[in-house]
Amino acid sequence: MARALWSGSLSFGLVNVPVQVVSAVRDLDLHFHQLHSKDKARIEQRRFCASEDIEVGIEEVAHSYDLDGKQVIVTDEELASVQPRKTRTIDIETFVPLAELDPIYFDHPYFLVPAGDSEGTLRAYRLLERTMDASERVAIGRFVMRTKEYLTAIRARDGALELTTMLFHDEVRPTKPIPTGGKKPTKTQLDNAVAIIEELSTEWEPERYEDCYRERLMKVIQRKRKRQTIEVPKPEAEPAPVDDLMAALKASLDNVKAGRDARFTKDEETAKA
Amino acid sequence: MAPRSIWNGTITFGLVNVPVKLYTATESKTVHFHEVHARDGAKIEHRRICPKEDKEIDYTDIVRGFEVEPDKYVVLDKDEIKAAAGDRGKVVHITEFVDAQEIDPVFFEKTYFVGSRDDADPYRLLHEALRKSGRAGIGRFTFHDREYLAAIRALDDVIALHTLRFHDELVPVDDVDIASPGKAPSKAEIEMAGKLVSANESSFEADAFDDSYREAVLDLIKRKSKGEAIDPMEQEEPAHGDDLLAALKASL
Repeated sequence: MARALWSGSLSFGLVNVPVQVVSAVRDLDLHFHQLHSKDKARIEQRRFCASEDIEVGIEEVAHSYDLDGKQVIVTDEELASVQPRKTRTIDIETFVPLAELDPIYFDHPYFLVPAGDSEGTLRAYRLLERTMDASERVAIGRFVMRTKEYLTAIRARDGALELTTMLFHDEVRPTKPIPTGGKKPTKTQLDNAVAIIEELSTEWEPERYEDCYRERLMKVIQRKRKRQTIEVPKPEAEPAPVDDLMAALKASLDNVKAGRDARFTKDEETAKA
Repeated sequence: MAPRSIWNGTITFGLVNVPVKLYTATESKTVHFHEVHARDGAKIEHRRICPKEDKEIDYTDIVRGFEVEPDKYVVLDKDEIKAAAGDRGKVVHITEFVDAQEIDPVFFEKTYFVGSRDDADPYRLLHEALRKSGRAGIGRFTFHDREYLAAIRALDDVIALHTLRFHDELVPVDDVDIASPGKAPSKAEIEMAGKLVSANESSFEADAFDDSYREAVLDLIKRKSKGEAIDPMEQEEPAHGDDLLAALKASL
């Protein structure tokens, strides 16, 4: 099982469930290391004091903040002093309907796992999981992990309790300054666009989408290992904006209704012939 | 202040091409510090050291290697890594649509706002059609030399683009191994707990929750700058009650 990143208790009224936090996602990216080109030795990053020009251990490092031009130095111990008191608990503050929580606020997903296998712990965990699942609600709470306090959403997923760290409201930017182009669509344009969307609609089946980048990168690595040449593909040209929106909508709708590729054009047919 | 865009390209659906720009939708407000040497307050530099030669290495003498077996690396140059990036550096083809509510939020990774690159009409057409249908468009695009799976949907008056996690990046719940209790929670307990949920229910108001820790850290910095002494505090842990039903009743 994955490593526990935090352990403490989930506090729900007067019921406390001892839990551990483990990641609900895993990193499958192919990672590269920095190497010295001459001898292929793995580069190490080491800390140096800029004024003394000597290597410095992590225990000699403090934190500096620029407060209106004035350097303020804070130590780990001082930072620890402002961590909220109940740092080993996740306090549930309220329950909200899942649909009201826009996913833009969701940051990192974790599983909550019962800590230990005492009957009391397992029953309290299962009770909360069953209750959350039946109510279709999300519990909103806070907890401190490492040196940061997180706002979290806790819900039932696949028979487990999931905890997702959330962004605070002022970490989501306003949409107002985003340019939204020209005129509102006409009713016919909108009806046509919605009809295209409905024709191209399918069930959400995440298993259908593979990380092609990861696969291609692995192939590039294997080719390089065998000293084969690697060709860089030309980027696909950016399509030009359409002159006649209505004609483009109609042609697209004809395509999807006839079971053709939505972007099929007569020019392509002539080009192929 | 006009936001700065981070990507230019075209979203296509059918034969309709929408020239767009991407903008960052979220920003971390976590208080960030610079590392300094505690003794003299001097800046800490992270230097790149070759452990074989025990000396600092210039950035131009560094290559990127993938470890294929212990201590054996395949070195790729920038162009070779680019070869895997895909050819969608300028275009997002939306080839299918799904019910936006059907995508579990666990798949959403990072959010960007999509803006129109010109004053033409297709942007609002796409936005309105996504809003009206309640659907999300699925496509792939390349950003910073890697390809992403993305979902676009209507969010307020703009189109939001979420990069999506791939299914194999989610840890299956079976891997987590959650033991079952010997005796399942009783109906009475589940009903009681349900009441506790109802009693504490509210609607979600994002701005009801402030980052109090961030404020506390900023306050600490201000106090420290005035030369105040900082006291470490004691921390406590709650006791774990064993009588579930009694605890639920008392909470209500």
